[in-house]
This record gives sequence, structure tokens and C-alpha cells, in this order.
Amino acid sequence: MIRLENVTKTYGTDVAALRDASFEIAKGEFVFLVGPSGSGKSTLLRLMNRQEQPEKGEVWVAGKDINAMPDSKVPFLRRNIGNIFQDYKLLLNKTVFENVAFALEVIGRPKHVIKQQVPAVLDLVGLADKEDRFPHQLSGGEQQRVSIARAFVNRPLILLADEPTGNLDPATGEGIMRLLDRINGTGTTVVMATHDQRIVNQMRKRVVQLDRGVIVRDQERGVYD
Amino acid sequence: MLARVSYAFRETWASFKRNVTLTAAAVITSAVSLLLVGSTFLIQRAFDNLLTRWKGDVELIVYVRSDASPEQITFIQEAIESQPTIIDVAKLRYLDQAESYAEAQKLFAGDPGTLRLLTPENIPSQFKVVPTTDDSNLIRELGESFRGIEGVREVAYAQDVFDVVSRVSQFIRVATTVMSIVLLIVAIGLIWNTIRTAMFARRREIEVMKLVGATNWFIRIPFMLEGLLQGLIGGVLSCAGLWGLNSAWSNAVTEFNDTELAALVVSDGYVSWVMVMLLVIGAAAGAIGSGIAASRFLDV
Repeated sequence: MIRLENVTKTYGTDVAALRDASFEIAKGEFVFLVGPSGSGKSTLLRLMNRQEQPEKGEVWVAGKDINAMPDSKVPFLRRNIGNIFQDYKLLLNKTVFENVAFALEVIGRPKHVIKQQVPAVLDLVGLADKEDRFPHQLSGGEQQRVSIARAFVNRPLILLADEPTGNLDPATGEGIMRLLDRINGTGTTVVMATHDQRIVNQMRKRVVQLDRGVIVRDQERGVYD
Repeated sequence: MLARVSYAFRETWASFKRNVTLTAAAVITSAVSLLLVGSTFLIQRAFDNLLTRWKGDVELIVYVRSDASPEQITFIQEAIESQPTIIDVAKLRYLDQAESYAEAQKLFAGDPGTLRLLTPENIPSQFKVVPTTDDSNLIRELGESFRGIEGVREVAYAQDVFDVVSRVSQFIRVATTVMSIVLLIVAIGLIWNTIRTAMFARRREIEVMKLVGATNWFIRIPFMLEGLLQGLIGGVLSCAGLWGLNSAWSNAVTEFNDTELAALVVSDGYVSWVMVMLLVIGAAAGAIGSGIAASRFLDV
């Protein structure tokens, strides 16, 4: 599903965010990217939906070399990739329903599809009764569930999560992980950057560890260290 | 498709309301600059009318009576052509009555009273004479000698109007053109700035839109529509202003009915044409300015 071949990405002149990174993620896998801040986890995620382009190497997603595709095709690539973030990136002036509907609206999905799919996905994340609330009326965990609903409403092949539990207390974070695990169970490939040791150790999924831009460990059913 | 269109209009309207002052500034500036552009066109046209008779270095016009016989006309022509040292015979032109009538339509556009009296039958035909010499006394002397020929109605000299008018028109032309170009650039800059502000206000939405795979055109179109609308509203205001100015001028000019000033009026048809052009320029400048701004702040 995702394959990196000898990818190098530098910011500025000398800081290497990623050096000669190669690995492959199969369809339906759940992968943790771990490592300290600045080790290149976020850069790796941003390379996978072409928010960044590497200096060297190739990034293949769903059978396509995504850096070879023209800019005009990038939106269609991104429709297959959901994104969630530590800070949720919800639109504060829109309700829960509108936030999720927005993702479908802006890719031109018709109203009747939106009316059917948004409640379904809100039900999946456990917010069926809160669709008229605004983000500031929700807890952090609930806001993250809205953002997961938005990322998943279009049934993407891949879900990229950048520190999704970073702002949440442990119990709430566990709830989010159970949700991501369920989404993974539907066949969606999940790639999650985190430095939450407890979560990684609990889940026992594949772990790719980065240190100063270099992949230092790639382990099935791994733990944080 | 319908969902996309209604989305674009909703966003455009919301953004309009959000930035009332900046929008007003952009609209007014574009209106003023377009008004100047329009005035430039009308002024140029008016002076062109005034000078129509004298186009192509014509310095002397011999008007021929409408009831002159073909023999008399031939005689006048021969008389003019018999002076090859003063007159450029190759450039001598004869406008028959039909052609003279067509010319008069422009010349007396601001003087419908005179125009109504003219018909292709009663209008004088004319010889347009291009001299080879710059000596105005010589030209005048020659012109006076034509007066005596049978069938000649009147002799007119370019010098009487031409020098002053052409210098004034040249000056006005340059001044208004420069001003309208500067103002148009300012207007585009303001529209550009409005769009930038609008995009900044919506940067989170734009970020999310890009992440969920909205195409750049989808993101850009509401902003372009906003710029286009600003330019178009500016265009409409400038048309109203132009119409007002032109009517006031036309009314004022009728007071000088019998002078050359009466030619300084343009036909309603031409005014309408200029107004359509202002609307097009306004809309295009707005759309292009905002389109460039949107692309500039929309790096993938």
C-alpha cells in the first residue's frame, strides 16, 4: 500500500529530516512510527500524502509514484488518505455534523450522500447524539473523534495519524486507540506517529523507530523500546 | 454540480459580508479608475470627431454647392490640380454627397438640429486638399482664389481649429490614459489584498480542504468569484457615472450650437459600447487579480 525507497528529505541546507529511509507497509497493516521529537516521524507522514516532496528517493502509495504525478492529481490521491492530528484541526464555526460533512462537500459529493454517510460515521465514532454541538462544547476526546469521523467518512484506504493522543489523558487516549483499531479492522491501513510508550506497548503492532532521520528499528508486534 | 455551485455562491457572499470595508474600498477604487478609462475613450472619440474633417494632413477643404453640375465639379478639380507646386495632387480626395453625409453624422453628433436639416441631396460635396508646403499664407491665398469659381460654396482652413484642438486633445489623452492606468493598477492591488485577507481569514478551512482532497479550482473559485463581483460592481458604478457625465456634457454643449464644439459629442451607441467594455474590463481585472492572489496563497 505504501512503499518508500531510499527517501531523503532535508529542510534548509544541512538539517536532514530523513536519511535514506526505505520500508513498505502492506494493505490493512497498523504501523507505529516512534522516536523523539524531531526524529522525522511527521516528515514521514507528510511525505505520504505529498504535503512534502523528498530530495531523493521515491514514495509509492496505492501503486503510484506520488512525486511523479502532476499537481492536479494530488487532490485525488488525498481522497484516499485520511488525516488526523494532535490538535484536531476542526472548524470552530461549524457543528460536528457540518465539520464531517465539509469533507464530503468540498470534494463535490451530493447532498443525499452526505445526509446518509455523516450520521453513519458519527455513529461509528460514538457521537451520534452530538451532531449539533460545536467543537468548544466537546471534550478533547470527543473532538478527536469528530476529526476521526471526518478523516474516515470518505472510507479512505489509508489513515495517517500524527500524535492523535498527544493532547489527551491516558483513559481517553485508550478510547481513541480502540476506535483506530476498529477502523483498521475494516481493512484501512493505519500509520500513526507517536511517542506515547504505554499505547505502543499495549497495542503490540508493528513499530518503526526513527532516530535523527534514520530508521533504526522495524519490528513486528513491537514495543516502544 | 448544483452542490458545488451553491457552495461557491454561499462562500462568496459570506466573505463579502466579512470584509465590508475592504470590499467597499476595492469596489470604489475600481469604479473610479474605470470611470477614468471610460472618460478617456469618450474624450478621444469626441476630439476624433472634431478632427475627422482634417484627417490625413488635410489643410484646406473646398465645399461644392449641392446643386453644382458635373461640369462645374470637374472644373473645380482641374483648378485645384493646376497648382502642383502647392498641392499634393496624388492625395487630393473628393467626397461625393453620400460620403460627405456619412462624415456629417459624426461631425454633428452633438447637434441633432443641424443634422436633421441635412440630407444626402442637400449636403455639399467636398474636395479635401493636402498641400505640399508649410507656408500657411500661400495656402490661404490659394484657397481664396478658389472662392471665385462657379459652384464653390465655401473654403475652410484646418489651421483655424486644428492647432489648438490637437494640442489640447493630445494633452488630455496622455493625462487621462496615465491616470486611468495607475488607478487600474491600484484597483487590482486592492482586490488582490481583499482576497488575501479573505483567504487568511479562512486559512484553517483551506488547510482542511486541501487535506481532504478538494481540487485547487474548487478552493479558488469562490475567491475568484468574489474578485470578479467586486470588479463588476465597480464597473456598474462607473457606467452610471459615465452616463451622468456624458449627459451633462451633451446638454452643456448644445448651448454652443453653431460652433465647432458641437462636434465634441459622441453618439449614444458609442457610449453604450464603452460601458459594455468597462463592465468587461472590471470583471476581468477582478477575476484575474483575485485568481493570481488565490494561486499565490494556495501553494499545495
